[in-house]
Amino acid sequence: MKLLINILGIGLCSAFFSAVANAHHSAVQFDFRNTVLVEGKVIEARFVNPHMHLVLQVTDEKGTREIQFEGHSRNNMARQGLRPDLFAVGDNITIRIAPMHNGEDGGYVTAVRGPDGTEVGNVSGAD
Amino acid sequence: MYKFKSGKRLSSLTVVVMSGLVTSLCLPVLAQDTTRPDFSGAWSTFRNTDGRASAMPVGELKLTPQATRARADYLSVTEGTDISHGNSCVGYGMPASMLGSGGYPMEIIQRDDQLFVIYEAYNEIRRIYLGEEAGDPGNFFPERNGYSTAHWEGDRLIVDTTRLKTQVDSRYPHSNQATIREVYYLDEPLDDGTRVLAAELTMTDPLWLEAPYVNVKRWQEMSDYHVMTYECTEPLWYDEMTALYEEAGLEMIQE
Repeated sequence: MKLLINILGIGLCSAFFSAVANAHHSAVQFDFRNTVLVEGKVIEARFVNPHMHLVLQVTDEKGTREIQFEGHSRNNMARQGLRPDLFAVGDNITIRIAPMHNGEDGGYVTAVRGPDGTEVGNVSGAD
Repeated sequence: MYKFKSGKRLSSLTVVVMSGLVTSLCLPVLAQDTTRPDFSGAWSTFRNTDGRASAMPVGELKLTPQATRARADYLSVTEGTDISHGNSCVGYGMPASMLGSGGYPMEIIQRDDQLFVIYEAYNEIRRIYLGEEAGDPGNFFPERNGYSTAHWEGDRLIVDTTRLKTQVDSRYPHSNQATIREVYYLDEPLDDGTRVLAAELTMTDPLWLEAPYVNVKRWQEMSDYHVMTYECTEPLWYDEMTALYEEAGLEMIQE
């Protein structure tokens, strides 16, 4: 399990979507100035509005555990190219998140790379 | 000379005068129709050509002490939580639906007697009634988006909204006494011809605002853009149903 942390400037997309996140509820717990890539096995995925909900089984230096993530709305993800068959429960995927400010597990999903390499949003670079 | 079937005759002068009268009555109507723009289309927050969304207009909101207390009470029980109208799939309501709507696009469908404004977020729909379609607002129950009637003044659509509910959960808090006027018009198009829609908003509230709140919102037409449906409440129902099934020890079959 790899956990990569890339410090990135505030890109246009993240700024926009952080505004969207703020529109629904406070997103102060998420650090939109940073980007973290997380790989894991899909335990649960709900692409819904106003925010997606994702549970991944992640293994890293802290061990193996299930981590819950929040993310963009289904509509925003769909605009970035999300299709219902991008991945399924049990698949290994990579997500790009804005991590928690307090360093705890979790974060705000802004992009996803499916098991076949298809990316929704820009997983590995700035938006 | 002109002769009716009854045999009565009209002088040429009479005909000329009558023709002039009819023309003078009809021309303004015809001219008015041709000056009315069609706002129908999909609109996104103004971005100009650099792709950057213009900042959500905020303006200066001068709340009365009563409004300040109400807003503080709301924030005291919701700040730092996941509780919000949005997470309960409740739309923004006016004026937030028009000014922001979470950055999502909107679609306008224009008819002579009604405009439908469909904000993608939460599938919020405003019906703006014109002419004889416009009823007495007093006959309608208050809603978060109020009751909107409109009339044309040249190429500008004047929309008046009343029957609003008190909203402490809005970034533009107001009481149920608030009224909102919006003036819609097509602004200067972009260099590439893209249409730009503007709306000047004035919200007045004798209870919660020390002074009228004024703002201007701009959108640009998105020819390659589609406003999508926004399913939000179904997951809440799904969760509720799942809990019921689990409590009953049954297997739920619904995807």
